[in-house]
Amino acid sequence: MIDRIEFLWPEIALFVTTCVVMVLGLSRRIESRRMTALVTGLGLIIAGVLAARTTPIPGPRSGQVLLPELIPYAKVLIASVGSLLLLLQAGTVDRAEEAAIAAGQRPYDPLRTNRAEYYAFFLFSLTGLMLCASADDLIWLFLALELTSLPTYIMVAMSTGRARSREAGVKYFFLGALGAAVFLYGFALIYGGTGSTNLNAIHAHLAAHGLNLTALAGFILAFLGLCFKIAAVPMHFYAADVYQGAAPQVSAFLAFVPKAAGFISILLLTATIGWSYAADAQGPLYTPITQSAYDALEGAVSMGLPEPIRVFLWVIAALTMTVGNVLAILQKSVKRILAYSSIAHSGYMLVAVLAGPNNGTFSQSGLAAVLFYLLVYGVGNLGAFAVLACLEGRPDADGEPAEIEDVDDIRGLWKTRPLLAWVMTLSCLGLMGLPPLLGFFGKLPLFTSGLAAGEIVLVVILGLNSAVAAYYYLRLIKASLIDPPSDADLPATPTPFATRTLAGVLSAAGVVVLAFVGGGLMDRSERAARYTSMMAVAPPPPPRKTPYVPGDDTPFPLPIPIGAR
Amino acid sequence: MLHQALHLLPTLAAAPPAHADSGAAATPGGQLLMLVPALCVLAALFSALSGPLKIRSKIPGYFSVACLAGAFVAVLLTYLGHESGVKIAHGFEWITFKWGDGPGQALTGNFAFYVDSLTLLWMLFVTGLGALIALYSVEYMADDVGLGYARYFFAFNIFVLSMSCLVMADNLLLLFLGWEGVGLCSYLLIGYFYKKPVAVAAAKKAFIVNRIGDLGLVLGLLATFVAFGTLGYDPLFAMIRAGVDAKGAPIADSWVTDVIPLLLMAGAFGKSAQVFFYVWLPDAMEGPTPVSALIHAATMVTAGVFLIARMYPLYAADDDHMALSLVAWCGAITALWSATIGMSIFDIKRVMGYSTISQLGYMFAGLGLLAPTGAAFHTLTHAFFKATLFLAVGAVMHGFGGQLDLRRLSGVARMRGFGIVGLAMLVGSLNLSGVPGTAGFFSKDMILAQGFSTPASMIEAPQAIAWVLLLTAGLTAYYTFRAFFRVFTGPVEYLPGDDEHLLEHGRHPKGTTLAEWHKQHGHGHGHDHAHTELTGVAARRAHGRKDFDPTTEEFDPHPPGWAINASLVICALLAIAAAALYFVKTPHAEEGGWVGGMIERSSAAFHSPHEFNLLGITSHSAMYLVSALVGLTGIAVAAFLHAPKGWQGLFLGSRDTAATSRADALTPRLGRVARWARAKWYVDELYDWFLVKPLRGIAYVSSWIDKLLVDGLVDAAGALPARVGRVLRPSQSGVLHGYAAGMAGGVALVLLLVLIVLN
Repeated sequence: MIDRIEFLWPEIALFVTTCVVMVLGLSRRIESRRMTALVTGLGLIIAGVLAARTTPIPGPRSGQVLLPELIPYAKVLIASVGSLLLLLQAGTVDRAEEAAIAAGQRPYDPLRTNRAEYYAFFLFSLTGLMLCASADDLIWLFLALELTSLPTYIMVAMSTGRARSREAGVKYFFLGALGAAVFLYGFALIYGGTGSTNLNAIHAHLAAHGLNLTALAGFILAFLGLCFKIAAVPMHFYAADVYQGAAPQVSAFLAFVPKAAGFISILLLTATIGWSYAADAQGPLYTPITQSAYDALEGAVSMGLPEPIRVFLWVIAALTMTVGNVLAILQKSVKRILAYSSIAHSGYMLVAVLAGPNNGTFSQSGLAAVLFYLLVYGVGNLGAFAVLACLEGRPDADGEPAEIEDVDDIRGLWKTRPLLAWVMTLSCLGLMGLPPLLGFFGKLPLFTSGLAAGEIVLVVILGLNSAVAAYYYLRLIKASLIDPPSDADLPATPTPFATRTLAGVLSAAGVVVLAFVGGGLMDRSERAARYTSMMAVAPPPPPRKTPYVPGDDTPFPLPIPIGAR
Repeated sequence: MLHQALHLLPTLAAAPPAHADSGAAATPGGQLLMLVPALCVLAALFSALSGPLKIRSKIPGYFSVACLAGAFVAVLLTYLGHESGVKIAHGFEWITFKWGDGPGQALTGNFAFYVDSLTLLWMLFVTGLGALIALYSVEYMADDVGLGYARYFFAFNIFVLSMSCLVMADNLLLLFLGWEGVGLCSYLLIGYFYKKPVAVAAAKKAFIVNRIGDLGLVLGLLATFVAFGTLGYDPLFAMIRAGVDAKGAPIADSWVTDVIPLLLMAGAFGKSAQVFFYVWLPDAMEGPTPVSALIHAATMVTAGVFLIARMYPLYAADDDHMALSLVAWCGAITALWSATIGMSIFDIKRVMGYSTISQLGYMFAGLGLLAPTGAAFHTLTHAFFKATLFLAVGAVMHGFGGQLDLRRLSGVARMRGFGIVGLAMLVGSLNLSGVPGTAGFFSKDMILAQGFSTPASMIEAPQAIAWVLLLTAGLTAYYTFRAFFRVFTGPVEYLPGDDEHLLEHGRHPKGTTLAEWHKQHGHGHGHDHAHTELTGVAARRAHGRKDFDPTTEEFDPHPPGWAINASLVICALLAIAAAALYFVKTPHAEEGGWVGGMIERSSAAFHSPHEFNLLGITSHSAMYLVSALVGLTGIAVAAFLHAPKGWQGLFLGSRDTAATSRADALTPRLGRVARWARAKWYVDELYDWFLVKPLRGIAYVSSWIDKLLVDGLVDAAGALPARVGRVLRPSQSGVLHGYAAGMAGGVALVLLLVLIVLN
């Protein structure tokens, strides 16, 4: 255990920062209290640098060996998006309290302020997310997932002073507990079926003995539980209510952090199962085949996840993107639109999980596609929520400023707040996957990896859903960029927190700029997705149904004219 | 790899091009020419940014002039250092489509320049005139300083950039990109006065007509790639020199030399406004006059000539020169056709437009008659004298509120401040008419002489073409001097233009608005240039008065300032000096002077046979006499019909007002011919009836099918998700135990399905 520590320095840095923040936020001096966010940011940057300097050593020392290069990529991604999210959190808690103290209406009372807890919870959650990436054991994974989630329940509840937030927090907590129970039960069954909680050991056991019924049930339950984290069908019900109840900056947090935790866990679990099962294997035991056995079959068989798990993920992916998109179409609330769209994005990513690593290149590897799409989605979503976080309505009777809620509230943004209108436009275009922007380069490998794995029907569903999604994203763009300002007597005024605007501008800039300089990021995610399987002694498994066999030079049949290297 | 797609910003690659195996004489070099696009981009960016930066001065204009002058210097230095042979300046690897490792399985279009003397010849006048006309525009567009200025100079610089890429490209793909780039800039600049519906319509017309030609060009490029497996000039010319295509089959009598030249010809005719495609160019005169001078007279419209000259080896490789015959005939017919229209219309700018079409016809005829040197020489001289003419017409337009009707202007050259304009106009007119001793005379002569010399075994009926061209030369001299005599000589008399120029500059010269101006004068001018009756205001006259004081009049013509005058003088001097090029002795060519040397050293070289002898003298000497005679006759007729009465002691003239002349009495006798010619032979109407209206009908029907059938299906498909959503919506009730039940039920259902059904 102790030698594992050298891979955990980012988490340790975050934990130390958390301790400092908890004390600093309670300081009597306003200057010290104001330092809280700064220290949090510093901790995140240090954690990011430490993560970038981590050199994964293949082998049991660095934890799980199936995705040995995952740790640095995932943690740097978490630290970067976390920093952007931090910029967005300015002024979420204690706004009225601090104003009252500054006005001399009441003395400073550490019991009434929430700043210390809020930033500590923020950091705890990110620490948990990083620990997910480091996990090599089911118990570790469970604890890391819960460390990620538990603080978010409270963050939702305290994010605004309204009852709606507290209701959302309570709902989120109870349903989250239900989800956790489901995947914990799954983990227990996996242990029962394979005799180990260590992912490497489970993988070795599956390679030797195949997937038995208990383990299969365990994996299904574990995936279902994780579906709660990524807000996939049938565990998606909470998303819209919770996102709507929380303050937009917390919704942005919810849309990225638990989701990233869920996907990292799902990648770890699918990697543990492996993508080397024959599609038409019969009987109660699913046994992975080795390359030599595969070669002996002369292509009569195609490989992938075990058939029940493949079908399960297939159905979940198709349902998730469809349900998310059709429900988003009907919404009036921007937050609900974004909540349902985040459900749809989970569905898109599940396609790539299903596709598996294929030959490991960026255009074919579904794992790389998921890891890259997490970044694409994180940046785009953050920009859209940032626009909401930057605006507020008139204060109501309690002095709590009204929230920007309806699509109508952002109408005519180009006239009143042109910068925010462009942030909204670029973010939505990015999430839509419009070609020159980052979203396109994120979404393309989802399609190509699906094609490479032979999942034609699923890819068609993905394409149709992308088209449906364009409807509500364009609606947001139209409202903010084209429609005249609404003449309602609720003019959206900017919130007095410049860093929120900065976060939005940075994410919108990221949507544009990263598309042009993202080659390096793609290389990184390709490396992070390197999958070493013990059972595939074994060059990459060939495509599942082989309708499309790409050559070495042309990973997919799109001519790519520009900037040939 | 996907990440290749991300490197949208091309990296400057130091590696030499992969042409090493072509075996041709091309060597790396001429890197200095990379400055040309760089400077254009710099000037374009600065001009574009000057809008948002709120620069409200002429700085973007002067900056563009400086950059374009720098580009010209770069070309000049390259020319001075250029001996012979081909150099390839490699910029960066740009476009690569690769689907295999074999030959013909990769389509590359690098950003690289093919530097030979043909390229340099074209680049010298493109950048030189570009800089000069930019200087002219600085003053001409002065009233639009600000956003309009930024827009104008941005498009102007992008035009020079695209034209440079077109001319210097080392492959047909880059040429095509430049080709489309100049088309776009032409569209943007014709439609510069976008509040004028006429200008917008003209811009659209130019763009659409060019698209039809470009279809031919694209197909030609594809056919070239199919036949030769490459679009790079260097390997292409090597194969053509060897007379084989990529598979080693001979090309002389195959489809390659028949189809590809014809397809390329379609593209060239579109861009250079020949035969069926010419209709866009007269309308393009709606753009600002400097644009007409640079784009629609001197440079862009010669792109078609350049394309054929560049691909001349392929045209010449055909055993029966079928495509060249067609080029020659189309050129000659266009030349005559548009000259007849030029003779009859009254809008002087459009007269120049038709004259450009006609002269382009000469150039194509020259190419077709196996006289590439003559064609290139005529392109060069035409660039200078036609730019001079346009700039002079622009100065008149600038000074008289956009007046272009030659019946409403008279004696301009005698007015204060318009002397230089008059002289420049005279220089241009003499050149265009081919008066002996002028540059236009020598260049036209080279084409005509070759026409009489080319044997009929090589080109279909070359003598007939030459006769047509000779007739055209006479008509050209007539219409040129018709415009000159009527506008620049005679009694000083003018009417300010109607809203044309007011809209151009956004205000009336007196500072009143258009509406006020119309109210004051209680009349509405027609917008149509071709309307024949003079209505409305009586002409403000100052018969023969040298002391005519415009300030007491209602309208104040403003004479050109230093920038316009300077560019006029330089342009006119260059037009005169171009004649000297004919006498430059060069070791590279027997005839054609400097241009002969340039062409002889390039891929367009062609050794044409001289068979013609008339009474013991060579065709050239004979042509000197004949074409001089024809040209002077044309001028004499123009003088007889249009020169002013008692003008400077000449007895020919009889005109004493701006509006009428002896020709008025003559035209009714010509009957329908004159009327039809004035109506431009109803070609636009013909196209409207036989192409536009049927297409519009089809579009109308398609639109209904689209609305009813396709949209119906799409709407039905679009309504589906919303319907599904409505069904699903009640599940999102907001009740906690409802959600929990849903989750638990989902888990149970999925487990059941997976474990029992699938297992």
